[in-house]
Amino acid sequence: MDTVKLTIDGREIETTKEKTVIQAAADAGISIPYYCYHPKLSIAGNCRMCLVEIEKMPKLQIACNSMVNEGMVVKTQSPQALEARKAIMEFLLINHPLDCPICDQAGECSLQNYYMEHSLMGSNFLERKENNRKREVFGPNVVFDAERCIKCTRCVRFLEEVTRTDELTITNRGDLSTIALFPGKTLDNPLSANVNDICPVGALTDRDFRFKVRVWYLKNTPSICPGCSTGCNITIGSTQNRISRFKPRINESVNSHWICDEGRYCFHPLTEVERLTTPLIRQEGGLVSSNWEAALAPILSGLGSATPLAGLISGRNTNEEAFLFAKVMNTISPQAALEVFYQERDLTETAKILMSPDRSPNFRGAREVGVNSNGGLGAWIQRLVEGKFQGAYIVGEDLLSLVPDGEKIKRALEQLSFLVVQDTHLTATARLAHVVLPATNFAEKEGTFTNRRGRVQKLNPALVPPPGTLQDWEIFNHLLEKAGEKSSSLTPTEIFHQISVEVPRYQGMSYSAIGEQGILPTNVSRQP
Amino acid sequence: MEKILLRNIETQDSHTLTVYQSRGGYRALQKALKEMTPEKVTEEVIASGLRGRGGAGFPTGRKWSFVPKDNPKPKYLVCNADESEPGTFKDRVLIEKDPHAVIEGLILASFAIQSHLAFIYIRGEFAFGYRVLEKAVEEVRQAGYIGKDILGSGYDLELIVHRGAGAYICGEETALLSSLEGQRGWPKLKPPFPATHGLFGCPTVVNNVETLAALPWIIDQGAAKYAALGTEKSKGTKLFSVCGQIQRPGVYEVEMGYPLKRFLEEDCGGVRVGRKLKGVIPGGSSVPILRWDEIGEARLDYESIQAAGSLLGSGGMIVIDDSTCMVKAACNIAHFYAHESCGQCTPCREGCHWMEKIFWRIENGQGNEKDLDLVADVSRHIMGNTICPLGDAAAMPAGAFINKFRDEFEYHIAHKKCMV
Repeated sequence: MDTVKLTIDGREIETTKEKTVIQAAADAGISIPYYCYHPKLSIAGNCRMCLVEIEKMPKLQIACNSMVNEGMVVKTQSPQALEARKAIMEFLLINHPLDCPICDQAGECSLQNYYMEHSLMGSNFLERKENNRKREVFGPNVVFDAERCIKCTRCVRFLEEVTRTDELTITNRGDLSTIALFPGKTLDNPLSANVNDICPVGALTDRDFRFKVRVWYLKNTPSICPGCSTGCNITIGSTQNRISRFKPRINESVNSHWICDEGRYCFHPLTEVERLTTPLIRQEGGLVSSNWEAALAPILSGLGSATPLAGLISGRNTNEEAFLFAKVMNTISPQAALEVFYQERDLTETAKILMSPDRSPNFRGAREVGVNSNGGLGAWIQRLVEGKFQGAYIVGEDLLSLVPDGEKIKRALEQLSFLVVQDTHLTATARLAHVVLPATNFAEKEGTFTNRRGRVQKLNPALVPPPGTLQDWEIFNHLLEKAGEKSSSLTPTEIFHQISVEVPRYQGMSYSAIGEQGILPTNVSRQP
Repeated sequence: MEKILLRNIETQDSHTLTVYQSRGGYRALQKALKEMTPEKVTEEVIASGLRGRGGAGFPTGRKWSFVPKDNPKPKYLVCNADESEPGTFKDRVLIEKDPHAVIEGLILASFAIQSHLAFIYIRGEFAFGYRVLEKAVEEVRQAGYIGKDILGSGYDLELIVHRGAGAYICGEETALLSSLEGQRGWPKLKPPFPATHGLFGCPTVVNNVETLAALPWIIDQGAAKYAALGTEKSKGTKLFSVCGQIQRPGVYEVEMGYPLKRFLEEDCGGVRVGRKLKGVIPGGSSVPILRWDEIGEARLDYESIQAAGSLLGSGGMIVIDDSTCMVKAACNIAHFYAHESCGQCTPCREGCHWMEKIFWRIENGQGNEKDLDLVADVSRHIMGNTICPLGDAAAMPAGAFINKFRDEFEYHIAHKKCMV
């Protein structure tokens, strides 16, 4: 690649020749304000906010459409550039309603932020603001306010260039121009809600999230979407120990700047059903509340005397949990049949841009770290239905409601002499168990997922688990301790270290090196 | 003066192929295709000093030479016949009265850049002109001046006449290309320029009607003869469409460098009896107005008009006498640009309407003393900061009206009525 040297605000910067001034400046930590520019969309150059002075150019130039040149001298803070920026802010605000107190974008609005940074002046506009459409529903997840729109066309370009579904366009001219749906269309493609994220102002807002909470009250936790095995990087926004929203987190190796709508809203079922907060034990035909001591006590012997033994873990459990689960099961019965739950669905072309047919975020990882008897889930279910198992330990999946042969499986599970179910909710499967252990969900735990491409990524706890529950890995620690394993109270970090020692593919990986962007095993420098 | 552009229009049935040919039409095409190479045609046009007559005045031959020779993509030539600048109606005369001169020029230009598909993008409201052009195209197709292997030269050219849908902005060359592509008529960002990334992303030259109509004469009579006319930097002749408060409005062909004062007083007969000249907009409504006392020794060429404080532009001249209120005139022009702003980029979309609203307020007796500085500020903030020249076109006259007729605006604000 050809390198180019240029000067921005007196600093000499070395970059490559295919960069624009706005990119080169951003790389060097010099921020040039913009609305219409987006690194993943074509250059529109319509907001004019990034006007800068470039020596030898007769007029101010937009930094987003200016390629860097050897010896170029750029001034982002010259009097002309500052004046132009102020003017653009004033132009954008003359028809923009000043309704920030009731606007859901407040707190993460580029107009607000840039006003504070680049304007801070009163308006000279004495006229009445143009009125336009309010609260127009564009689709199931998107609502539009035409008065707040600054016509940057990011949404139009996203739907043209990323999803290729072309639902939106610009109609009318001049200050009457506005974003609109094409006749007969609604904005309901599988990635539709991303337009809310890329809208720099409060014109497009999320119907699910709007008016629920002010964004400055959100606690933001970097994590991984549990919706499928793509492993999109997300930020969990939570308030008062509840998830308020998922936002995409940029990771060019996985999801770029986007997440799908299904993943974005997949937290609702997790949070809206009453949680299990105490272990349950079967007594005289019914499940009764118990305590952890009493619930854990019969498991080893109960499962130990119920061979052949079956084990099933959810693909939403972490690598660390799957690793310990395999250890627990193998300690009880080395011949135990272990599987990871797996479910596929058909996807449209647009959905395939991001989504994976496999709904389990950690199917690959759970198998790699040891939950793998090489029979496959189908054969495992077949054996269960045929009554080949005496005991089973099912973690995190409501097997009964998820597979087509629910009735058959119900009968098979009822026949088992010992069934342990570990889950967050009292599911139909859990109701058949001899022991039910209350566990935690992905937003409450620390650990790693391995996505379908083999990338190991980190979950961080956004929420405090309900009192009375234990983390899945804590439960397995207790069981291993009861089985006489020495190092029984391992943290996820320590478990991951153990994986990196015992599992060939993960050899040499360190938990701290995973960071916020994840790692592939090939990134790992192998120690001799 | 020998007429070049208007040489045919007085003749009966000048729009027909027969009459055009009887007056030497398509002789230049024969010469170019049989005796000249495309490079030679380009050199000849560069030597003639012909500059683009759409308003910008860029040397035509040089514009052609920017088309890359080694680009494997098709090349396009587009004739900009979307004449819609207020005060400008010079192309319309050529289209209606001498369509073959335009078509012959277009074939010459296409040959020079080796384009095999050319377009005439005609203003939608020019319904009659469109029919005349269509008929003329049919005639040249029959005569074999377009189509395959033109005049046995091996050169192929197809020609499509396309009607616009009524947007002023589509006269801006990149908006025109967007419109021709079937897109919304929005100007495109430059760079890249049309010469390399024009119509459908291919190398494209856009030339004005009047520019093309000058080509047959230049090729037929030779560049030197054309370059002998006019001034050092502004060669040849130029059409001026004169309208407003003037005795003899109409389209005039004038040698570049002709004195403006003499042109207005002698050729156009001056302002009406008993009236006094107040100002003249020399190049279409988008250029700064010249006050009566600024005309002085100004001459009708690019450099002289610029030195006087305006631009030659398209040559659409609007003459204003002392019966016109300059506030109302400014209001009218501001309304036009606000209405025609495409809405793509911020300064023009918001600024043009803002200026219109301020002018309207002053005109209707609701202005205040800060308004004049405010308009000046707004126009300065639009100027040079937009994607296409429409922003400048709105900003320039607004600023000029206030600067040059400030007393009338101040009177309006103070007395809530016209000075005149």
